[in-house]
Amino acid sequence: MTALSGVRVLELADNVAGEYCGKLLADFGAEVIKLEKPGGSATRKLGPFAPGGDDPERSGLFAYLNTNKRSVELDVESESGQGTLARLLDRVDVVIDDHPVGWLASVGLDPETVESKWPALVLCSITHFGAELPEDRVHAEDLTVFHSSGWGYHTPSAPDTSKPPLNAAGRFLPSYEAAMDAALCVVAAVYERHENQLGRFIDISMQQVMTSRCDYVVAQMVAGDMPVGPERTAYDLAGPAGIFPCREGYAYIWMSTPQHWAALREMLDDTAWMDEFPENWLERGCTPERVALCREHVTRWLSTQDKHEVAAAAQQLGLTLVAVNNGRDLQESPQYQFRNFFAEVTHPVQGTALYPTVPYRLSETPARIESPAPLLGQHSSEYLAGGDA
Amino acid sequence: MSLKSRGGPLEGVRVLELTKVWAGPAVGKMFAYLGAEVIRIESEGSLDVTRTFGVDDINNAPGWQSVNPQKLSAQVNMKSEEGIELILDLAKHCDILVENLRPGAISRLGLGYERVREANPGIVYVSMGMWGSEGPLAYQTGYAPCFAALGGVSALVGHEPGSPAGMNTRYSDSSFGASASYAAMVALFHKRRTGVGQFVDVSAVECISTMIGDSIMDYALNGVVQDCVGNHHPEMSPHGVYPARNEEWVSIAVRSDAQWASLAECLGQPGLADDSRFRTLAGRKANEVELDRLVQEWTAGLNAMDVVAKLQKRGIAAAKSQSSLDLIADPHLWMRGFYRDVTDHAGRSKPTLGPSWEMSRAAEASDAAPALGQHNDYVFGEILGLSAEERERLQAAGITR
Repeated sequence: MTALSGVRVLELADNVAGEYCGKLLADFGAEVIKLEKPGGSATRKLGPFAPGGDDPERSGLFAYLNTNKRSVELDVESESGQGTLARLLDRVDVVIDDHPVGWLASVGLDPETVESKWPALVLCSITHFGAELPEDRVHAEDLTVFHSSGWGYHTPSAPDTSKPPLNAAGRFLPSYEAAMDAALCVVAAVYERHENQLGRFIDISMQQVMTSRCDYVVAQMVAGDMPVGPERTAYDLAGPAGIFPCREGYAYIWMSTPQHWAALREMLDDTAWMDEFPENWLERGCTPERVALCREHVTRWLSTQDKHEVAAAAQQLGLTLVAVNNGRDLQESPQYQFRNFFAEVTHPVQGTALYPTVPYRLSETPARIESPAPLLGQHSSEYLAGGDA
Repeated sequence: MSLKSRGGPLEGVRVLELTKVWAGPAVGKMFAYLGAEVIRIESEGSLDVTRTFGVDDINNAPGWQSVNPQKLSAQVNMKSEEGIELILDLAKHCDILVENLRPGAISRLGLGYERVREANPGIVYVSMGMWGSEGPLAYQTGYAPCFAALGGVSALVGHEPGSPAGMNTRYSDSSFGASASYAAMVALFHKRRTGVGQFVDVSAVECISTMIGDSIMDYALNGVVQDCVGNHHPEMSPHGVYPARNEEWVSIAVRSDAQWASLAECLGQPGLADDSRFRTLAGRKANEVELDRLVQEWTAGLNAMDVVAKLQKRGIAAAKSQSSLDLIADPHLWMRGFYRDVTDHAGRSKPTLGPSWEMSRAAEASDAAPALGQHNDYVFGEILGLSAEERERLQAAGITR
């Protein structure tokens, strides 16, 4: 059996956070029934699209987020849809939603009603700021959540302050992050429910998840143990760490100890400049002047190097230097190939492609992609047969 | 049996933590906040760097306290065979073991999966490594920003194409912890239903790649290697972070033509709504430099919160880019109890971060991080049933110090 076989999930979500949460469950074998509004989930309209057009069956985003799921097309806001929804709720263990605050109540699924009608149901709602929404935060996107969370203002490290703070990588990083905590809470709730048949309401705030992703720093700030202020470097660590251009692409170098310094000396041909530095300067004498001089020499050196070769050599010496990988590098990574991080998935419209999978290998119950994302309404008849779901 | 009943979905679950620094402890923290009893193994001879770095008092170290709330601390010297035996005995009383030591270190200590499984076949054994536990690059080590660089997120954060600046240095550890926690939770559920334990092998770099799964799909489907786009977005425009008065910044995201028309009114230039350059998303994307200039001209004269208020009233997503000062004063995060007071080992009240979630019948989250060895008596006396004399002998021999 798979780890989550027999767990039945109704996915009302139609955005990235909820759909990714559903995928995390489905890839471990949960039966995830995705209710799509007429015309399909909002994510079907978003790229990247597979070659051949931008119709709803060609969204690579949807295909990625909805592996292993069943699709039922239903207008839950209509009267007949409401009846069907109630019948489906009788049959499932978990509901996942990521509509804005108020939507669940508008379809009759406020937490109180759910608790009285379906006391064994685990209801998980993912929203930008949680179920109680301040007036000045009603309208939000991943960008604005990222900047509400403290991350945005401090991105990147060591910024050029004439330029704006930046968005997270990609379009949906806060959504993916929130989905992980949602999935964790859902399975924890299912774990307890297995013994006592009690459901739960889980309220995930994307802002709160993102802020908690910097708990090591923010908890110290809240406790008064670390200074706070308007500096965009408030999260930063001192030192010459950073991204440097290589012959092709970029490498990231981290240096914080005398051992790193000694390893750098072994890597370089020209080390005369290093003699001016105390051996323990990274720990005890990290002045802006030394950082600047060090960066200047590292820049000159790395500009002639191949990022993968120099990283391998540095790692052998104990210098923390790694390649800055892009999408192609990841697919070509020997480590990713060894761990089968990419899996070949054949989609009836989009064809065959290598999908990124999950970052954990479980020896007994590995995650698997057994079926591609469903076509819109592909499983409607199965679940809506004769109006008797 | 557990030392304290806190309720929550994982009450009665016990986690053994052999971890260092941030990512590993993040797993124990999440389980503790779900109600599990989490025992962190420490020793005087190998203290966590967060207890000591730049700190005078190891029991009040700020970094340590931030990622170890509500855990128990028990001291075992893992460089002694008797200490290893003690941990193996303890593992028999635990459901999950989590480790994030340097590659291969846990096996060299004699606590690799095979040996722990002999002691407790039902254990969920979670191994966390930069690249995972095996493979051609598994020997490599790195810190959080290395995970970000290797996993592909750093390449996507920068002001212009081809100028990666990366996420903030602090990004990755806690994400890695969350991913490992989810995998451990799934394995724990399998153990509850079948009694079967397993080896859970988590890769930090792969975890980071899953934060940009859709970007990677563009390469998979179309051979497109995505690059930095500043603050732009293919499906929303304007979409950016704009300067406000007093060196504040405000983030704004416009998702429809109607929202753009509202924004144009805010700018005091309603005519821009029908301007052929900006009327459609494609037009706004094609003229984004000019578009950003127009928005910036408006925001620069206002306080960030005034921009937010005006845009929210018109249904447009906007938020102040919160500095650390803004963040710790955020009334919403206090109201939700995310920032909360907990009680430390000396009985003092101190604010820290609660769980990232709210849930009904949640576990109580009220205790701060433990002092070194604070729970030795409970762990060795009550869980392992060792007599006071035996505990004294172990301590005198340096096994539990």
